[in-house]
Amino acid sequence: MTPSTASAAPLLQAKALTREFDDGQVKALRGVDFSIGEGEFVAITGPSGCGKSTLLQLLGALDRPSSGDLLYRGESVPDLLDPARYRACEIGFIFQAFHLLPTFTALENVQLPMFESDRSPSERRERAAELLRLVGLENRLAHFPSKLSGGERQRVAIARSLANEPTLLLADEPTGNLDSENAHSVLDLIIRLQQEQGRTMVLVTHDPTIAERAGRTLRMMDGRIVSDQQSAARSAANGS
Amino acid sequence: MTFFTVVIRGLWRRPLRTGFTLAGISIGIAAVVALVGMARGFEKSWQVGLKARGTDIVVSNRQGSLTPKPFDASVRDQIKNLPRIAATCNILVEVTSVEDSDLMILSAREWGGFAWDNLKLISGRMPLSATEEAVVLGQTAADILKKKVGDPIQIETKELKVVGIVRGGALVEDGSVILSLPLFQGILGSPNQVNAIDVRVTPSTSEAQLQELTRQIQQRVPQVRAVTVSEHLSHNEGFRLVKAMSWGTSILALVVGVLGVMNTMLMTVFERTHEICVLLAVGWTRQRIMRMVLYESALLGLFGGIVGVTLGAIGVRLLAETPAIRELLKPDLGLPLLALSVLIAVMVGVVSGLYPAWRSSRLAPSLALQAG
Repeated sequence: MTPSTASAAPLLQAKALTREFDDGQVKALRGVDFSIGEGEFVAITGPSGCGKSTLLQLLGALDRPSSGDLLYRGESVPDLLDPARYRACEIGFIFQAFHLLPTFTALENVQLPMFESDRSPSERRERAAELLRLVGLENRLAHFPSKLSGGERQRVAIARSLANEPTLLLADEPTGNLDSENAHSVLDLIIRLQQEQGRTMVLVTHDPTIAERAGRTLRMMDGRIVSDQQSAARSAANGS
Repeated sequence: MTFFTVVIRGLWRRPLRTGFTLAGISIGIAAVVALVGMARGFEKSWQVGLKARGTDIVVSNRQGSLTPKPFDASVRDQIKNLPRIAATCNILVEVTSVEDSDLMILSAREWGGFAWDNLKLISGRMPLSATEEAVVLGQTAADILKKKVGDPIQIETKELKVVGIVRGGALVEDGSVILSLPLFQGILGSPNQVNAIDVRVTPSTSEAQLQELTRQIQQRVPQVRAVTVSEHLSHNEGFRLVKAMSWGTSILALVVGVLGVMNTMLMTVFERTHEICVLLAVGWTRQRIMRMVLYESALLGLFGGIVGVTLGAIGVRLLAETPAIRELLKPDLGLPLLALSVLIAVMVGVVSGLYPAWRSSRLAPSLALQAG
């Protein structure tokens, strides 16, 4: 996806988005505007408490804004009649703490989002196995999360996020709980899958080296976007 | 993996707690099966006893306890000529203690009445006259009282003699001490007192005609109640009390079961807040989450019901073998009662799961991102 096509038809559009807690005493977002085109890889950076994760929750319809609007393909996300369907079919979440369910094997964890799809049990199983192969865990299908390393757990979570072939991947500090070696390989995997499959990705991170790998970086401070920049790598590529 | 796998996995998460909850429901359902089974068995035994005597309608006092209150034997004269009445037999029955047995049916029958006809002698003989100081014992009664032909037997203040052992074709009959009505009235010092009239109708009488006859009897003698054999016990105050007590105790046991399952399911929901939020975050609908919790509690009910019915059936068999009630009544554990008990258990599960399911569906999926 090139920046030109990205700007042609925004997939996501935030308009004066705010989110307040405790009757307005805590203002997590103070009027956020941006557009994200289909296929873009956008990093959201900023210090702790700047509103990154709150913004990610709004993008994934896990929470509702206090005011403003968020459009997905022109449709208001807060006003969706069936937000669960939006989360199941359009969104893939990758969490910092993996959030795999401990009583289910890797293969079963990946199948969980597919209950909201039309796939039969055998199709769900095949699809989950295929995704686990894709993230290099073909030998860990029957392992429970407690028997997997941190890196392996995040790979299972990545496979789970792709279960229903979502358009938009939302990743919240996906390497935050991993050692540097695992963090590197997991990030490589996420970026490779995003690029190969042409998915849109919004990745929240406080690590500037990770943000550099995104095509575009939104920097946040005190609930506002303070800068919106193409990465150096992408700018160079566009310039060449 | 199917949705059912997810449900089972939820129950299996805490096997000990699931086990204890199952035990709670099982005991409740076992109580239902045992108490209701015994009450129904009692009802059935009594009906079979009356039918074995060839009785179609029972006429008794309106104010009834387990054994109805006495009334004057002349009532029979007022009804015996009604159409379709083939025969009548005055009865005075008491459930009382006889020697070492606390619960014995004492059945005094009009001398020469049809209620003697079904008795088959196993040993000894029948009383020779209405006033002979003799009784015959149903074979179970003989076993319980440890009596044989020729033994003396104390009835109220009088010592009588066992002259015969009989088989009556029904548990109630076999468990009775049977003697002539005039003899018993003499012992009680209340001549002309009876507490039931057994009525036999002509063979061609239809059910509708039988009902009509009961109305005619009541019209003619307003102070008595005439009911068909199948309705007899349902009109009996004493039996209604027994039935109400058995259901009352059962309902109490079920309420305890409901609270147990609800507590378990609520704890499950609280413990699994994170898991439920993750499921919501990956796209599960709130309805599916509710269904998951409800299926889990319904399944607890189903398993609890099956175990409870088994325990109840075994318990009733053991109870039926105790000396106090051995062979006096046979528990009625028909398939409908067992199926109803399992159904009640599933309902207990579903009802108990409603509130926890609702709570689970109210959880905010955003908690999934916040929880470390």
